[in-house]
Amino acid sequence: MSRFRPPPWFVLLLPAIIILSAVVLIPLLLSLYSSFTPYRLTRPETLYKWIGTYNYEKAIESAHFWAAFGRTILLLTIALNLEMLMGLGLALLVNKVTYGQRTLRTVMMFPMMFSPILVGFQFKFIFNDNVGLVNNALQSLGLSNVAIPWLVDGQLAFFSILVAEMWSSTSVFAILILAGLFAVPRDPIEAAKVDGCTPWQSFRHITLPYIMPFIYIALAIRSLDVARAYDIVQIMTNGGPARRTELLWTLIGRTGYVDAKMGYANAMGYISIFLAIFFTIYFFRKLNAARSELGMAG
Amino acid sequence: MAKVNLRKVVKKYGALQVVHGIDLEIDDNEFVVLVGPSGCGKSTTLRMIAGLEAISDGEISIGERVVNDLPPRNRNISMVFQNYALYPHMTVRENLGFSLKIAKRPQEEIDRAVEAAAQILSLSEYMDRKPGALSGGQRQRVAMGRAIVRHPDVFLFDEPLSNLDAKLRTQMRTEIKKLHQKVKSTIVYVTHDQVEAMTLADRIVIMRDGHIEQVGTPLEVFETPANTFVATFIGSPPMNLLAGRVADGEIAIEGGPQIAVPDPFSGKVVNGQEVILGFRSDNLMPAGHAMPMEGGFTEFDMKVDLSEPLGTETLLFGSLAGKEVQAKMLNPRPVSDGEELRFQLDLTRCHLFDANSQQSLR
Amino acid sequence: MNENLQYRIRARLLKVLHFVTLFIAMAIICVPGLWVVLNSFRPTVEIMAKPPVWVPGDLNLDNYRAMFGAVGEGGVPVLQYFTNSLIISVTSTLIAILVGMAGGYAFARFRFKGKASIFIGLMLTRAVPGVSLSLPLFIVMAKTGLIDTHMGLILVYVALNVPFTIWLIDGFFRQVPVELAEAAEIDGCTRWQAFWKVEFPVARAGVASAGIFAFLTSWNEYALASQLTRSTFSKTMPVGLRDFTSEFTINWGGMCALAVLMIIPALILTFLVQKHLIAGLTFGGVKG
Repeated sequence: MSRFRPPPWFVLLLPAIIILSAVVLIPLLLSLYSSFTPYRLTRPETLYKWIGTYNYEKAIESAHFWAAFGRTILLLTIALNLEMLMGLGLALLVNKVTYGQRTLRTVMMFPMMFSPILVGFQFKFIFNDNVGLVNNALQSLGLSNVAIPWLVDGQLAFFSILVAEMWSSTSVFAILILAGLFAVPRDPIEAAKVDGCTPWQSFRHITLPYIMPFIYIALAIRSLDVARAYDIVQIMTNGGPARRTELLWTLIGRTGYVDAKMGYANAMGYISIFLAIFFTIYFFRKLNAARSELGMAG
Repeated sequence: MAKVNLRKVVKKYGALQVVHGIDLEIDDNEFVVLVGPSGCGKSTTLRMIAGLEAISDGEISIGERVVNDLPPRNRNISMVFQNYALYPHMTVRENLGFSLKIAKRPQEEIDRAVEAAAQILSLSEYMDRKPGALSGGQRQRVAMGRAIVRHPDVFLFDEPLSNLDAKLRTQMRTEIKKLHQKVKSTIVYVTHDQVEAMTLADRIVIMRDGHIEQVGTPLEVFETPANTFVATFIGSPPMNLLAGRVADGEIAIEGGPQIAVPDPFSGKVVNGQEVILGFRSDNLMPAGHAMPMEGGFTEFDMKVDLSEPLGTETLLFGSLAGKEVQAKMLNPRPVSDGEELRFQLDLTRCHLFDANSQQSLR
Repeated sequence: MNENLQYRIRARLLKVLHFVTLFIAMAIICVPGLWVVLNSFRPTVEIMAKPPVWVPGDLNLDNYRAMFGAVGEGGVPVLQYFTNSLIISVTSTLIAILVGMAGGYAFARFRFKGKASIFIGLMLTRAVPGVSLSLPLFIVMAKTGLIDTHMGLILVYVALNVPFTIWLIDGFFRQVPVELAEAAEIDGCTRWQAFWKVEFPVARAGVASAGIFAFLTSWNEYALASQLTRSTFSKTMPVGLRDFTSEFTINWGGMCALAVLMIIPALILTFLVQKHLIAGLTFGGVKG
């Protein structure tokens, strides 16, 4: 009769598992349950009424929901791709610098220290149609004589949000890709030069395969964190004007807290969770593929 | 196939100058080895020929063309790197064909060139493996194959054998030599290993601290070293060097024997001149253990501190004038430590250097 | 020589182009932040002036003085928010580090079934968007009375930071050779001693950077804090920023001053660890 002794790895992981269960898993189960009820914050008894998949059906039939869903995907796709490209460009620029590279690297990390909500306010300020930096500059330079409604016009607001989001997150890509560039061995690049490659060709055929894993790490890290964009959007437009910049997250927040329809909001929340999980797993898989390509796996 | 010319080539990193205006002419199809201790500027020189390092001053030409500012891709060279520098994400076949693919040659031509290179280097079995699945020697051969495929004007080798174990190194050395016979081409080869330099080179360039110390065929640099550095760097074990002073046609070794000024140097020294006498262990032998020396020789006694039997010969370590001296015994017999023997020094094969300039007095 | 000249000119041009592009990129990165810092020293009237005042005429510390004044600007208790943020961030970071160290060590040193899936599973908890999580958390916390307390937010931030901390620390422990701990055990250490005396010191830089990363996340978090805190006694600075906005106006000057107060600790910490941070993320990810 020996007492059951859990393996050491399990004991070590236990605190993490407990706290994540308590703070993430259990509330998520609760929200899963409440998504099948018409729960309203103002009327607690509604938590016990089972209405099946009604909330989900409602979401699926709702044009607002699909508009927000599509816009979220669009924003994420454009933002992640542009951030990746610009981060790559920035990393390549900084990598070529020989003097003062440390300083540049530090400057490059600057936006990472800004709270997303701060980024939101900052760009709300910069894009303000009346006193914002952008309009003031355009008008002072004589490039425009009217106040451009950056945050009022639907498409301009989408653009402004995109700029703010890219400002705050491009450096994550740049930093990680730069780390990747440091890790690229010098020899194969030189061999490629001698083999007749133009700078573009040696980048395309040698450097890029080497830094691909780093790009995917950056994408994976970012996709873990995409909902950061919520803070920015909430401050800059809060989905407005008239839902023209509504994202899944602002829609959920408003439905839950302003309209107090918790059940419905949780149903949509679940859809947003699956969206995030999908992106994350996708990039983790890509990362593994890129790693085995270079023989780094294992 | 082309000549390579270096004229007053200088390399500076900021204030630090690592190559001090070297001149070197390399002939068509010549195998030239740059050799020297680490930090002597030999690799930098090679990389300047390749175009991987910009030159700070001077002129480099390949063929008739000045290539000072041309990027490597326009120099029609190929290079084998110390760490092989294979592309890890490509198979052997793709590695070999990469330069031709970049040059947009037709696929069948690429296939033919790759096949031919694989034949020469017996790589055919490994064509679809990635470099990670190859042994050190195989990787080295792929690196060489990649260089051959392009039919470049000049091959550059940057210490290609230093990552291999001793046995493989000897084997690959022979292969490189054969390769040069098969693929007639100009080769510039960098190494810190003087044995490699001696065995491979048509001409050896010995470098130190960014200067060229001597250029010559292997036998020239072995038999007539230009200065004490070359004398000790080339040949193993290194040449024995003893300081002395010229007095009446003899060299007085401080605290050691008097030795007649060797023939080739008589008339080139003056009384009272501080000199360094150099001789190889092959020319200092215990009396009566080999053919008797012909021509001029001198004899003295020396205590043997240590002996290293190598089979066909035994290395003897003694000391003269407080300096360690190595001698060789052919047809060896066991020698006990501390035994005093009579040695013969072959004067016809001695070297004499000026003590101040360290240059040969020949 | 013509060919050489052509290449030399091209190299020069590329150099100039590189410099100009780099300069523009850095300007774009810096200007929005510097604009905030500059405005924190200007009176709101000048910030809002129409036509714009480009050359600041009136730089003063009024916004800061108001912020640190007894009541604070417009009654915003900035000091209280700062204290709340500090308590919550520091405590949650310390706990997250301990939990993360245990977990990271488990992943780095033990082989077990389902390791990859458990790892991904833990990471995915981080992928849950803050808003989606805040709704059920709000309900649970309201029921358990943790809402609007330091404790509640600390728990949430620990959970938020643990996955990432595990990732980073796992990467660092993996670089410490197993032989090191084994040697220590042969020299007479217990496993516990071997960890603290040998493995931990080697991976300390990594642990520190994971800590600072966790701190920054907690320090800057908004989506959850905005729902789970209500009163002055638990609101953090990101939430406090909203106090400067009213229905139609925003006190830009005061807000900029608070923003600077928020950035400074983050700035200092990031400078301290930037090197380790990059190393941690990439080692963890690439060397798999």
